[in-house]
Amino acid sequence: MLMYTLKRLLAGVITVWFIATATFIAMHQVPGDPLMNDKAVSPEIRANLEAKYGLDKPVTTQYFIFLSNMLKGDFGISFTQQNRKVNDIIRDHFPVSATLGVLAIFFAATGGVLFGALTAVYRNQMPDVVIMFLVILGISVPSFVFAALGQLMLVNINSFFGYSVIPVAGWGTIWHMLMPSLVLGLTTMALLTRLMRSSMLEVVNEDYIKTAKAKGLSPTRIFFRHQLRNAILPVITVLGPQIAAITTGGFVVELVFAIPGLGRYFVQAVQQLDYTVIMGTTVFYGAFLVFMVIVVDILYGFIDPRVRLS
Amino acid sequence: MSEPLLSVNDLEVEFDTYGGTVKAVRGVSFDVAKGETLAIVGESGCGKSVTVQTLMGLIPMPPGRVTNGSATLNGKNILNLPAAEANKFRGVEIGMIFQDPMSSLNPTMTIGDQIAETLKVHRGKSHQEAFNMAIELLEKTHIPEAGRRARQYPFEFSGGMLQRAMIAQSLACSPSILIADEPTTALDVTIQAQILELMLELQRTEDMSIILITHDLAVVARMADRVAVMYAGQVVESGSVDDIFYRSAHPYTLGLKAAMPSNTHDRDKSLTPILGSPPDLFKPPEGCGYCARCPHAMKVCADHLPDIVSVADGHHSRCWLQHEAAPRVDELHQAGA
Repeated sequence: MLMYTLKRLLAGVITVWFIATATFIAMHQVPGDPLMNDKAVSPEIRANLEAKYGLDKPVTTQYFIFLSNMLKGDFGISFTQQNRKVNDIIRDHFPVSATLGVLAIFFAATGGVLFGALTAVYRNQMPDVVIMFLVILGISVPSFVFAALGQLMLVNINSFFGYSVIPVAGWGTIWHMLMPSLVLGLTTMALLTRLMRSSMLEVVNEDYIKTAKAKGLSPTRIFFRHQLRNAILPVITVLGPQIAAITTGGFVVELVFAIPGLGRYFVQAVQQLDYTVIMGTTVFYGAFLVFMVIVVDILYGFIDPRVRLS
Repeated sequence: MSEPLLSVNDLEVEFDTYGGTVKAVRGVSFDVAKGETLAIVGESGCGKSVTVQTLMGLIPMPPGRVTNGSATLNGKNILNLPAAEANKFRGVEIGMIFQDPMSSLNPTMTIGDQIAETLKVHRGKSHQEAFNMAIELLEKTHIPEAGRRARQYPFEFSGGMLQRAMIAQSLACSPSILIADEPTTALDVTIQAQILELMLELQRTEDMSIILITHDLAVVARMADRVAVMYAGQVVESGSVDDIFYRSAHPYTLGLKAAMPSNTHDRDKSLTPILGSPPDLFKPPEGCGYCARCPHAMKVCADHLPDIVSVADGHHSRCWLQHEAAPRVDELHQAGA
């Protein structure tokens, strides 16, 4: 198990390095640079600034400077925001995005497993038909529509009670987090529901379920001990990439709900070609996602013994 | 004969499918006495598995349906019971093992835990107690290093070892009957012999009856006390193992025997197959199910289902040839047996 974890971590480091390099190359392929904004900069100032930020050096030198700084954990200073270190931006805003993402994943996973199991138990009956219709809706409707609808719902609830029961936007308390994380997790929840349903239906026909019945176990015990645990494996497999989708895809929801998350800076930086922020946020997100995937893989090893040895 | 342990009478099972209703089991009766081994033989699709799975309540209903018949274990009905009732004898009075041990055990639970589970549920043992008993059961089935093996998962076992573990699991509550649904079909021949040997040994030490389902006549000859030959959802012949092998009455049994490879036969001679294929059980024939393939078929066979006739004491056949109105067909015996 230790060997397995170490191997995964090493592979993770290589992945992050690859992400960093690819982003660096892609970023420098984009025409223009951070200094080329709407204000006219005289050649002298430009030369000075380039010298200051190291942009006058060859790209390969810049790459190695970046790498060595990255290893020291320093991503430099933002080009567009005055006196703000990239590390500070991440430190200030990532916890917000992470909280939102974790909550969203929590909603998605519990909802997905629950509804998926429910639809499998009531296959082709009313609960199944209704939930599966909602699932199609959840997968096909984009999250900004749900975000707006969610907000509208909160407005209606609040005006019904005459005071602000649940805040419509902003960040701070657990009540602020409720609706955005629900909205953010909705698509994933729909996806996991479908996966869980088909997985449950597959497992129910397995021979070992028949064995469990022949052992004289109660239906509830068979459901929880034998069916659910085996059916949940594929759900856990996709959870890793889904965490990726949720934490990076939170940008839209963060915008609609006016949440000061990292997603905004991530997108803004690309638009403004803010080199240091692009590299900082991308590498950070990349590392985070790789880490989450590893965590999921290790978790998977605990649930499915067959994975541990390989 | 004393009161049988398990008695099945005129059992009929149907399945609703998109193509219509399949009459999988059409009036099967048999008894199992204490300590004996009954082999149910027949080709694929003749209803042997459905019969025993119906007894265990393993047939999903719907689409399955018991339309007629009764089955009693120690005088108590065991058909069509709700799960809570059925669980009083499933795994307790009747243990069952299956064809493919590789897929018959839960891949995410250790072998020991799976065996212990039965004991915890039915005998109210604590986890530690049950687990220790599971190790003893594994030892009983001759699994070496049982203590270490109990902590392993099914994927760490070989096929033969898994079937041993399955047997250990089914024996957990000392059942009076072990149903073995083609227990050796998925195993290679040397392992087959070991598993059969183990079953015979445990039958003696545990004093239990065995219902052995198989299509392998060699296995039958080795294991069985009595045999029921099934064809197209019916028992066509039943009797002691000697009755079936040396005094076969039904043409289907004769056909099966003729089709068996033998080491005394001329090597260049090809095997004698039973020509044709079994009847469509969506629309089972009105007469004898074997009529279309039977070399001795008569006019009466096509339209009228023969009664079960007693050929000798404890030896029954469902064939017009043995009917009292028909002359004894000794020439048939000479030809086929």
